[in-house]
Amino acid sequence: MEVEVDEKELKAAGAELLTDGRHGLRIHGWEIESRKRSILKSSTLELWEKKLETYHMPEMVFGDSCLALKHVKSGFTIHFNAFDALVGWKKEALPPVEVPAAAQWKFRSKPSQQIILDYDYTFTTPYCGSKTVKFDADKLDGGEISKDTCNLHWEDCNEKIDVVALASKEPILFYDEVVLYEDELADSGVSLLTVKVRVMPSCWFLLLRFWLRVDGALMRLRDTRMHCAFNDNANPTILREICWREATFQALSAKGYPSEDAAYNDPSIISQRLPVIMHKTQKLKVPDNV
Amino acid sequence: MSDLDRQIEQLKKCEPLKESEVKALCLKAMEILVEESNVQRVDAPVTICGDIHGQFYDMKELFKVGGDCPKTNYLFLGDFVDRGFYSVETFLLLLALKVRYPDRITLIRGNHESRQITQVYGFYDECLRKYGSVNVWRYCTDIFDYLSLSALIENKIFSVHGGLSPAISTLDQIRTIDRKQEVPHDGAMCDLLWSDPEDIVDGWGLSPRGAGFLFGGSVVSSFNHANNIDYICRAHQLVMEGYKWMFNNQIVTVWSAPNYCYRCGNVAAILELDENLNKQFRVFDAAPQESRGTPAKKPAPDYFL
Repeated sequence: MEVEVDEKELKAAGAELLTDGRHGLRIHGWEIESRKRSILKSSTLELWEKKLETYHMPEMVFGDSCLALKHVKSGFTIHFNAFDALVGWKKEALPPVEVPAAAQWKFRSKPSQQIILDYDYTFTTPYCGSKTVKFDADKLDGGEISKDTCNLHWEDCNEKIDVVALASKEPILFYDEVVLYEDELADSGVSLLTVKVRVMPSCWFLLLRFWLRVDGALMRLRDTRMHCAFNDNANPTILREICWREATFQALSAKGYPSEDAAYNDPSIISQRLPVIMHKTQKLKVPDNV
Repeated sequence: MSDLDRQIEQLKKCEPLKESEVKALCLKAMEILVEESNVQRVDAPVTICGDIHGQFYDMKELFKVGGDCPKTNYLFLGDFVDRGFYSVETFLLLLALKVRYPDRITLIRGNHESRQITQVYGFYDECLRKYGSVNVWRYCTDIFDYLSLSALIENKIFSVHGGLSPAISTLDQIRTIDRKQEVPHDGAMCDLLWSDPEDIVDGWGLSPRGAGFLFGGSVVSSFNHANNIDYICRAHQLVMEGYKWMFNNQIVTVWSAPNYCYRCGNVAAILELDENLNKQFRVFDAAPQESRGTPAKKPAPDYFL
């Protein structure tokens, strides 16, 4: 997903690409870096299972992949990784979603002779970015996520991300999409956590998206958008908008929308059909002396 | 050169056949497959392959590592289609090889060889895109109904796409299934193609989805003992290392789609058995980008909101 960037545009924006094989750029006091690696090996996966105290993990965990946005002057970093997202999944622990075939299966299964597993196999997470301050690239290797005690503090606010400004076709200096984890729900749908970022001369913008489709049953979309307009003189203003949407196939079909699973492959196309169940905008209170 | 040999050469270059050729090929394949047992006997030496999922260029790597058919005798455990970009070419090449060398390649059914699943996970759309109609999808899905459900190598190794079923304790019970149908939503045939081994249950478990069985070590032990087999070889689940033993080497998962979905970075494996059933796993990587015919996918930056 590397993109050819126009050298002149980078220079004009005062940006420079990261070197030494790192993927990202420096711009207006920010260092923005994405890392895309393979899924975890079985041995690392087992380690994570122990740390998370679970027997179940998504079948594709891109545990060494991440997106990090570091504000160089104040030292804090907003970052996105699979481990912290799975901590969120484990904590929320939603009840499992039944697939349509479950009704038929009730006649078949004999609970006295079977163990019924009841963990949240959809890996739904309330994760909206990691709350740590320092980002240490070395410690990210091997699934070790460094934790700092000083949390980033987000406050509810009335301001909104300026979508109109974002719609303007400023040149994109850096773009990437990082998959954090993915599960095919044993061919019963999709559970996918990704983060996309684009950096323009005037701002950066990112979308962290949890997308779930349980075929014939339910769709769930949990979006976190973050935006920061560059401002060299003051502390940066970072807005974050969290929007959760959810609908059952039954409810969609009652509204006259198609009910085939194949019509719901791309969440960005159908998101408007899913009613909003939670929405809030928050502003990052940037620590003055980190 | 016969028409069939020419078609195989064409498919090896990842060029699909004409609709009329697909129709004729499927008819010939049907005549062969209809004669096969639900527990198809396979002689050793044989090379066992797991999921392919339309990753045509990676399957060519597989043949590089394992040797060409018919020189090497192959058993494919299903999931030829969906998810990858070349389900049409992948399945048709395997089917053409089956028609050309029926005793040197065995294809059994995976849960993706189904009308319902292929409409959601790619094969249907690919047929429509490449042929402008769904006729080829119809011919292929009709053939899926004829694919055998399992294989038995030298009476010692039982091979199936998914796993076991609480409705099945003997191979004879599999032999009595009427398989010529769409994969049902429940019952023995469904379980063989869908179920998974699971460490944390010993007997039978039910998936949290409310449908789908999980089976533990004691289930595998009793099955292997009752049917006098050494171990079970199955596919169906992604394994980063290409293969994975469970329950004291009583069942092995073989996965043959390297860099699954073109982004996982996993290796793939095939299992070679010699005439004495000695095992050797051959692990391989995805095809290098430059051999894929198409340039690397570099999506333009997206003005997402």
